[in-house]
Amino acid sequence: MGLRRPVTWLALAVLALLVVLVALPLQALVSVTLRPDGIGSWADVLASPLSPNLLWQPLGNSLVVGLGTGLIASILGAFLAWVVVMSDMPGRRIIGMLATIPFALPSFAIALAWESIFRNERLGGNPGLLASFGIAVPDILSWGVVPVTLTLVAHYYSLSFVVVAAALANVGGDLLAAAQLTGASRLRVASRIVLPVVAPAILSGFLLAFAEGISNFAVPALLGLPVRFQTLSTRLYGSIATGDTERGYVLSIILVVIAALVLFTGNRLTKGRSFATISGKSSPPRRVDTGGWKWLLLALSATLVTATTIVPGIVLAVSTLLRRTNSFDAGLTLHYWLGGSDPSIAQGMRGVLRDPIVIDAIGSTISLGLSVGLGATIVGLLAAYVVGRMKRSRVIGGSISLLSYVPFLIPGIAFGAAFIAQFGAPIGPFPALYGTFTILVIAGIAASLPFAFQTSRSALGQISPDLEEAAVISGAGTARRLGRIVLPLASRGILGGGILVFVTMVRDLSLVVLLVTPATPLLSVMTYRYASEGFTQSANAITLMIAVVSVAATLIARRLQGATQPWSTK
Amino acid sequence: MHSTHHRRLAFAATLPLMLGLAACSTEAEAEAPAVDYLSLSHEELVELAEEEGSVSVYAFTSRIASIEEAFEAEYPGIDVVATDVSSTELIARLASEHAAGSTTADVAYVSDAPVVVSELIAEGVLTSYVPPRVADSLAEEYQAPLVANRLSTKVLMYNEEAYPDGSPVANLWQLTEPEWAGKVVLVDPNVRGDYLDLVTEMSLRSDEMAEAYQAHFGTAIELEDGVEDAGLQFISDLYNNDAILVDDTDTVNAAIGALGQTAPPVGFTSYSDRRDNEDEGWALQVAAGVAPSPGIVFPAMLGVTANTQNPAAARLLIDFMMGDDTETGGAGFEPFYVAGDYPTREDVVAPADALPLADLGGWIIDAEASAERRDDVADFLLVIQ
Repeated sequence: MGLRRPVTWLALAVLALLVVLVALPLQALVSVTLRPDGIGSWADVLASPLSPNLLWQPLGNSLVVGLGTGLIASILGAFLAWVVVMSDMPGRRIIGMLATIPFALPSFAIALAWESIFRNERLGGNPGLLASFGIAVPDILSWGVVPVTLTLVAHYYSLSFVVVAAALANVGGDLLAAAQLTGASRLRVASRIVLPVVAPAILSGFLLAFAEGISNFAVPALLGLPVRFQTLSTRLYGSIATGDTERGYVLSIILVVIAALVLFTGNRLTKGRSFATISGKSSPPRRVDTGGWKWLLLALSATLVTATTIVPGIVLAVSTLLRRTNSFDAGLTLHYWLGGSDPSIAQGMRGVLRDPIVIDAIGSTISLGLSVGLGATIVGLLAAYVVGRMKRSRVIGGSISLLSYVPFLIPGIAFGAAFIAQFGAPIGPFPALYGTFTILVIAGIAASLPFAFQTSRSALGQISPDLEEAAVISGAGTARRLGRIVLPLASRGILGGGILVFVTMVRDLSLVVLLVTPATPLLSVMTYRYASEGFTQSANAITLMIAVVSVAATLIARRLQGATQPWSTK
Repeated sequence: MHSTHHRRLAFAATLPLMLGLAACSTEAEAEAPAVDYLSLSHEELVELAEEEGSVSVYAFTSRIASIEEAFEAEYPGIDVVATDVSSTELIARLASEHAAGSTTADVAYVSDAPVVVSELIAEGVLTSYVPPRVADSLAEEYQAPLVANRLSTKVLMYNEEAYPDGSPVANLWQLTEPEWAGKVVLVDPNVRGDYLDLVTEMSLRSDEMAEAYQAHFGTAIELEDGVEDAGLQFISDLYNNDAILVDDTDTVNAAIGALGQTAPPVGFTSYSDRRDNEDEGWALQVAAGVAPSPGIVFPAMLGVTANTQNPAAARLLIDFMMGDDTETGGAGFEPFYVAGDYPTREDVVAPADALPLADLGGWIIDAEASAERRDDVADFLLVIQ
């Protein structure tokens, strides 16, 4: 690496930023476990009578759930992306729109939808739909690894869909036409041209779904615990919640190490191959004529999006209208939305739309989502750019990739605590940021980097280096090349990533819980608060508002993309 | 085995910073003579508090919003800034803020007493203030380590629609027999602190558990290998009897309480959730009188932060939340005046519609003893899963 190259300076700047945002919190986490009163936790976790139940079994379960989620979500997402972008299936626009929604729904809503159908009588209370018709549902369908994995798949396949659809849209029709002219069979085109060029996107989608799958807490807690199905995330959360912070941190470090292994294996698999398909010349995508198969494709895709978008959406919406939590016995009411304070209902809680704090929270939630979406996208894009351009510098590239991947796996509470330590008091000329909106934005950027980085990396991977080399020869500097060549060409993938960041930011933020102040109420914090106090309907009503905000954001972004939208072209 | 009782969230990186701040604060203390808040009259306290003008409180309950309203109505010159977060996060946040020397709350309203003892009080993050006005009507155990304004419960409950003749269980040991296999529901004690406290208390009360065993089975209890006491033997037998663990109290309530069940499970939950019976279509009732005890009674506590910027207003808020001199504690206690929860003050009459505390038979936990025992109990639970 030459210090005279501007890209080297950019790389160092990005690395410095990632050190502050990710490495220092991670280091704080590690140092807590290395202090004299914490070091014993390593032995407790790794080699003690506790290890089998604290680490090894949950680890096995986490790997099964994570890999299962990653693989199935990638297959479904890629299939749907192909159908929507490349086939002539009718209704692909609406399917394409619906396929982005599951990610905007909270994972517990999908788990709840599963329960409302498959719950058996193991737990008592109200059984699910099947059991209420007298059908005996075996435990394996009601609880444990199967429902946990499938619920997470239903949630995260849309990640894969967004990333792969963006990549597929860049596979020019001329490439396919050329292949077909030279006599390649349809299967050969698919396996030798289409699949390889979207491989980085599929990998990115897999990595995101895997990391989310092993770090999700709500779903395994809801559907796993009744059969004592524990994952590393339930163990991690439990350790921290019962006051054993160090052990929780050790488990989280182990999660980070596993994620690093998966990341490097994934990168190795795609190493040394070029996926550049964007040559600067646009050619309209070419749709595959699927003949009579198109109706089968439609049936499959429609079933998939209905089961993962419309059903959970309806379950969530109906749950806010039920007078009694999750039960039709007492009829329907709009009280939890519009009602005034009535001491006989929910301890006098007002309907959410009557609550001025909720109205305030909508505004601050959206501005947080936008600020973080913008910030994370810039950081993620720069990181992906330097990693792509500095292939020979493994240490810098590897560090940046890793630091941009692991934030999902650092428990929110540790992240929050580290940010308080870093920004709690003034540093030199800078005032203390703690307790301000700024620190929420900074923390949010750190937490959502994986989306921004992975989506940018997949988008940039398709741009032919020839273009930039040509620009270098004609004298364009780094900034100019980024602004005039890279950004416009990768805009579709980058915008997709920005939306993912926005959605996660407005939806769930265990991280921000430690940093919020009463001055900036956030919707996600309010759902959490209501849910933990048993005000389920109000919590779900706000969750539904979050979903509406997310879907609206997705649709507006689509509109901005305009004609470049893969599924809008005729 | 694992035994770390002192935990902090301080980070090596902030050490120089903390030293710097510590130096500043000693200077400040030297300038302003310390006020002895315990000797102030109420009027003097109000006057000082009004000079400060605001007070920030972290609370584990959303009901703090009603306190904010009520306090500001009573003392219009003082602005309350209320933040509510879960007990776990509240404790982590206070500890981190203390270590970083950053702005922090003035008052903390916390549950999870054993963790508060080991992480906040031992580290000097929270200090005690018992308003002199109420000290005489508070039992010793509710004054230290922090003042408690009310008590909550985690006790055995059953479905009174399905079991109209009263509790189907008279002795906890019945729950380890085939009749109740797969029909006892509780939140996983390795996931939630209050349930860990429940199991810890069974271990601390192992003599009573052994006695109840003898009364039920007619023979003295024999402990299995690796089981230290009768309380842990009970929980081990309960787990082996396919007890169902879930992730939160509402799931327990719905499982036990839902109307229209023929043979519903029993389980451990909060007595005060019975107040939601009509609202939610439940038939929850407490299994009072079960031997040796239906479960635990634990405090919600109020403390002043060590670095408070508003020491007088902080104390005034605690004073307010301890209730006024009426029978029900007045506006400052009103949000907590709920059947199934218990005021700590002897001169406040417990709400009707619930058993008196004495008749409930719950074990009142000792936060310090519990803090010492609970890590080992958590480890034991991990092994037997």
